[in-house]
Amino acid sequence: MSQDHEHGLPPKSSVSRWFLTTNHKDIGVLYLITALFFLVFGGVLALLFRLELISSGADLLGSMGYNQAVSTHGLLMVFWFISPFAFGFANYVVPLQIGADDLAFPRLNALSYWLYLFSGILMGVSFFQGTTFAGGWTMYAPLNTPAYIPGEGLGATSVVLALIMFTAAVTLGSVNFLTTMYRMRAEGLRMRDIPIFSLSINLTVWMMLFAFAALLAALMILASDHILGTTYFQYSIDGTTMATDADNPGASLLWAHLFWFFGHPEVYIVFFPALGVMAECFQTFTGRRLVGRKWFIISMVLVALQSFVVWMHHMFLTGINLPIKTIFMATTIGISLPFDLMVFSLIYTMAKGRVRFTTPFLFSLGALILFIIGGITGVFLGAIVLDYQFRGTYWVVAHFHYVMVAGATALFGGLYYWYPKITGKMYNETLGKIQFGVYFLGFNLLYFPMFIAWETPRRVFVYPDGLQIWHTMATVGGFILGASFLLMFYNLFVSLWRGEDVGPNPWEYATSAEWAVSSPPPLENFPGVPSYGTGKLEFLDEETVAERTESMPGAAAHGHAATDGGTVTDGGAVTARAATTATTMESTHEVSGEEHASHASFWPFLVSLGGFIAFLGLSGVRTGSVFYLTMAAVGGVATFGSLVGMTREPFHAPEMAIAERWPFERVEKMKLGMWTFLASDIVLFGAFIGSYAFVRVAYGWTAWHHDLIPAEHVTMPGLINTYLLLTSSFLVVLAMVAAERESKRGTVAALAGTFALGVGFLINKGLEWQHLFHISTETFPNGWNLSTNIASSTFYLTTGLHGAHVTIGLIICAYMTVRAWNGAYQGDDRAIEYFGLYWHFVDIVWLFLFPLFYIL
Amino acid sequence: MDWKGYTVIYVVLFVFATAQAVVEFAGLVDSAYWAAFALIMVLSVVKAVGVAAYYQHLRWEPRAVTYLVLGGTVAALALTGAAAYSIL
Repeated sequence: MSQDHEHGLPPKSSVSRWFLTTNHKDIGVLYLITALFFLVFGGVLALLFRLELISSGADLLGSMGYNQAVSTHGLLMVFWFISPFAFGFANYVVPLQIGADDLAFPRLNALSYWLYLFSGILMGVSFFQGTTFAGGWTMYAPLNTPAYIPGEGLGATSVVLALIMFTAAVTLGSVNFLTTMYRMRAEGLRMRDIPIFSLSINLTVWMMLFAFAALLAALMILASDHILGTTYFQYSIDGTTMATDADNPGASLLWAHLFWFFGHPEVYIVFFPALGVMAECFQTFTGRRLVGRKWFIISMVLVALQSFVVWMHHMFLTGINLPIKTIFMATTIGISLPFDLMVFSLIYTMAKGRVRFTTPFLFSLGALILFIIGGITGVFLGAIVLDYQFRGTYWVVAHFHYVMVAGATALFGGLYYWYPKITGKMYNETLGKIQFGVYFLGFNLLYFPMFIAWETPRRVFVYPDGLQIWHTMATVGGFILGASFLLMFYNLFVSLWRGEDVGPNPWEYATSAEWAVSSPPPLENFPGVPSYGTGKLEFLDEETVAERTESMPGAAAHGHAATDGGTVTDGGAVTARAATTATTMESTHEVSGEEHASHASFWPFLVSLGGFIAFLGLSGVRTGSVFYLTMAAVGGVATFGSLVGMTREPFHAPEMAIAERWPFERVEKMKLGMWTFLASDIVLFGAFIGSYAFVRVAYGWTAWHHDLIPAEHVTMPGLINTYLLLTSSFLVVLAMVAAERESKRGTVAALAGTFALGVGFLINKGLEWQHLFHISTETFPNGWNLSTNIASSTFYLTTGLHGAHVTIGLIICAYMTVRAWNGAYQGDDRAIEYFGLYWHFVDIVWLFLFPLFYIL
Repeated sequence: MDWKGYTVIYVVLFVFATAQAVVEFAGLVDSAYWAAFALIMVLSVVKAVGVAAYYQHLRWEPRAVTYLVLGGTVAALALTGAAAYSIL
């Protein structure tokens, strides 16, 4: 295909295409391949420690080698394999299923991918920094802090930073998917009617948006403990023994709360896409619509909500009180109920349809069986008294893998299911079925013996002699499971050349929109604008779209009512057509081919590369090494420069001319993207403030101020900064007013004033910090710095995070001031409004930090 | 909203911020800590709602945007509240 036909993208045979592409299908393929690489990476580590466990003791890898292999295996599989693998499909399939031509923010999508890749590379590099992280994938405190990590612990710091990078990728992805799914659905496609896989992804990204923000907070705090010397998660060392630090009695529990607030939704974040694949495959290969589809969807929504109120069942063995344990036992048992409904729905779909035992179906059915076993064995762990016995044993390991790898099993089914769509070729069905047989045998031989050998302590390489036979069986199972992937890779690789060509739909009963276009689909996905306005999928031609958009000028601005359950603004009923909104003529030009969407940008790759170098440098700055300091500086400059380049690059990603947008009809995509990001940021700051509240409650709320904070820490600097930020917020809205009135002078003055006040805020903060760093009193003879006590750590880090937000805002503000000086924004205040949303949010956060850290 | 409306909001926010500091300067934090705590936090919530409603224009956006913001807020409060309660 020529370069022109690909809208500036080189052909797929060119290596440069894969560095430049922002197209969702290309990014999807990149995710799939990269995730499979990390599957092999994590799988080889698993085989190594399974070999170690053939006999009790660490005689193959050594104790640290074993701990590193186990920890890294868990981290790689949970973070770098399963979810990204699912999001390979999500990237490829969701826009096709909902009738969009791409994701809402294509460059952000590419940035998500590259951040993901480089975070994985940083994870790999950590092995070469002495040792990598070895404290288990849950990274419990205080074993996750430098004081308790053997050697320099630089590899462990890299792992923490890699996870931060990964989490940034996830957050960008969540914002992107949510904006896409609420702004770019085909006309007439109500939320409740989108294909079940896309619906599962929608709920997954909702959970990701909030859960990963809590993880990001935990990781940023941990990184600060590693790099800056704060003391959130550390106990003091009393001589050679570990002693609970009277300053910070909540250290260990704080990590557990933050981690599991993320960690339990993460189970469903991993499993929901798999559930979506299973539902798609069950429908397609039974020729039957999902039985009880509405209840299936309601159950998924319930689980998504409940997933945030079960996290403490992972903490039954800690010192949390019995009433809260009881509440969380009830919520945990409760979350199994919607899952029961979903399982029965799948079983009845199978019973009522005529099953075609293709490879994707076999994997989906296998996943269902494995998940039922995993689910039932998990209920045991939800009961407090049983958990006391099972916690920290191989029962947990077996249950966990029956759930998580059941999800992966369904995703492998998804790989076979969509392989013809992605490649245009059919895989070898016989070999696929053989692979399933070998996979299923290996899986159960690997994990089922762990239930029998449950008394083996988790993450420990020593176990009672009587359990050796079960461990040997598990190791043999592990190698059989591993071998099954060789069959899969061979099958899929060879089929790229030898497979039969397939048309748009190789499956008889597949009905979702991705099967209505060629395999693989063209760059723009559809031959026209997709619409379900008549009740079935059709593609509107250029003339129809032009007529429709011209006949509804300003429709987006005026907004329309909801079609799927929402109320209407004028009190009347509305049809799907009436709810459809038209945007600007810009979109019409896109449809008519006068102005094409952009698909190529090198900046996402460069930003991520810069971030990788910066984070690698940060991992070692505490050593004072010139190498690491240089890397941090160079990487920081490269990241900043690349971001500026990305901002200045002309990149056209128009909104769809006609689309279904409930419930965000009047919220254009940039604004919705900003709000979605801010919702995540609320959880990030909420987790920081929550951490402060938690450690303060643990210490003693009222004693905290008297014992840990110097008298020199007074209210006035905080009050002055409150005035500065409030005034700057006021100036931002005045800038909007001036832009609306097309007053260039007013716009520039207001933005410049905002910038000046923000700088004043930072200067005031800097002066205050300098003063506190250098006080010398009887209680604090060496100043009050980040490491002095837990109160100083929370103060500097939380207000520091806020200061970082101010700094980012100031960079944007400076850029906008220059643009306003050159005449931008006059008559169109939207860009100022979007910046204002961020700036006012920073202001709101300060409205809580001021009383909490300066008055109370 | 025109500039006059924004100005009124600004003045209210300014006064409320000052009131929070006055609570401390008046010694209420030392003499009646939890009453002062409640008063100061309520003032912060009112200020935050004011900024969100008028400066961020949530009042005029579809309710779904407010629910989006509330979703994040509830998640953060659930984490903070339940975690703190677990060690009481």
